[in-house]
Amino acid sequence: MNIIGPDALLFGIDDIDAATQYLTDYGLEPIGNGRFEALDGTAVIIAPKDDPSLPAPLETGSMLRKTLYGVADQATLDAIADELGRDREVKRLQDGSLEATDDVGFVLGFQVTVRRPLSLPAEAINAPGAPPQRPVNEIGVEGGAQPRPRTLSHVVYFVPDAARTEAFYAERLGFATSDRFTGVGSFMRPVGTQDHHTLFFIQTPPHMQGCEHFTFHMGGPTEVMQAGNHMVSKGYQSFWGPGRHLFGSNWFWYFKSPFGCNMEYDADMDLHDEQWTAREAFLSADTTQAFLLQPREKWAPMGPPPKAAE
Amino acid sequence: MSKMVKLCTLEDLPERGARGFDPEQWGHDTVFVVRRGRFVYAYRDLCPHYGNTALPWRKDAYLDTKGEAIVCAAHGARFEIATGLCTSGPCLGKSLVQIPLRVSNGGDVLATLDTNNNGAESP
Repeated sequence: MNIIGPDALLFGIDDIDAATQYLTDYGLEPIGNGRFEALDGTAVIIAPKDDPSLPAPLETGSMLRKTLYGVADQATLDAIADELGRDREVKRLQDGSLEATDDVGFVLGFQVTVRRPLSLPAEAINAPGAPPQRPVNEIGVEGGAQPRPRTLSHVVYFVPDAARTEAFYAERLGFATSDRFTGVGSFMRPVGTQDHHTLFFIQTPPHMQGCEHFTFHMGGPTEVMQAGNHMVSKGYQSFWGPGRHLFGSNWFWYFKSPFGCNMEYDADMDLHDEQWTAREAFLSADTTQAFLLQPREKWAPMGPPPKAAE
Repeated sequence: MSKMVKLCTLEDLPERGARGFDPEQWGHDTVFVVRRGRFVYAYRDLCPHYGNTALPWRKDAYLDTKGEAIVCAAHGARFEIATGLCTSGPCLGKSLVQIPLRVSNGGDVLATLDTNNNGAESP
């Protein structure tokens, strides 16, 4: 099953104007019909929550209505239709994509991926002892930059049964588990990517089922910081970060959003292949963050000398 | 220990809306007030889901579009405006911490703050 990763997430939204403003400020490009794209064409798609074209919502009222996966080719699409068609309805939509529901109730779509190949440099750093990554006289950081998200990275679900969820994605769709939090959930990657995870899930009571967060990859940690800083300057509220995760090693900065879940920036995630053995740990702050930073608007007292001293 | 603090005047509040305040000078809002006509309600700006998360995704965005419920943007919890009770979402059945509020004859909105409560660091 050569699934590459999520091509798009579909949300049924209460406040379209606010969501449009938010996604644009986040750095995605509005290209019409509720579609907001990263540089490679992966996207967030929004529609009014009562739009009849959207799949039915979860009973919990989660705004995430569908996770649309990109796959390598038509053969993969046919293989998924055969596999899932054994025990559930698989719809073939007019655009050629498939639609089916996973074992805990999330609606999934599958399409031949729309991702455009990217050819962009990663953030380059200079360090003593290593050959320079940036040539002499090339500047490392530009104030006020607003970097654009490169590609849809991953989605995180609250699930009522983590073991069942892991079994479905492993056995039916060929995902591998990169790491696991004991009794909580697993980080999984499909066959078509080496990213540490495109899917993570957290075991919760059934009334919480939904989306915890989703995120796009940036070009490096500085882009995470600058994009996040731009969000803060626009008045959006940080939820967690900036910091760096341990499992996956990805830099992170989470923001609350009008989607009833958090929206993250991430960068520099570990890559794995079949040689990798999944680690397991108990979930705590110590196992999720290598470090955590918090922005500070004023960092030094300043101002003119007192009048008497003039 | 508690102290009474003036947050604003009734006229400063939208007729059917909400606004955040930072009465203890933490550098971020720790209290919010919801007004529905003549009625005002105040709560600590902390979601009982984690206990250390402020609710809005943008300053003052405490209500859903119709102004019918308080919502936490982190994970979509919904709360009754008049009681602070969570009616759906992660903290179902739990409640926001209500802050005693009174409107003076002059229209000042006065909150009684517990001075032992040091607000919270917003993660």
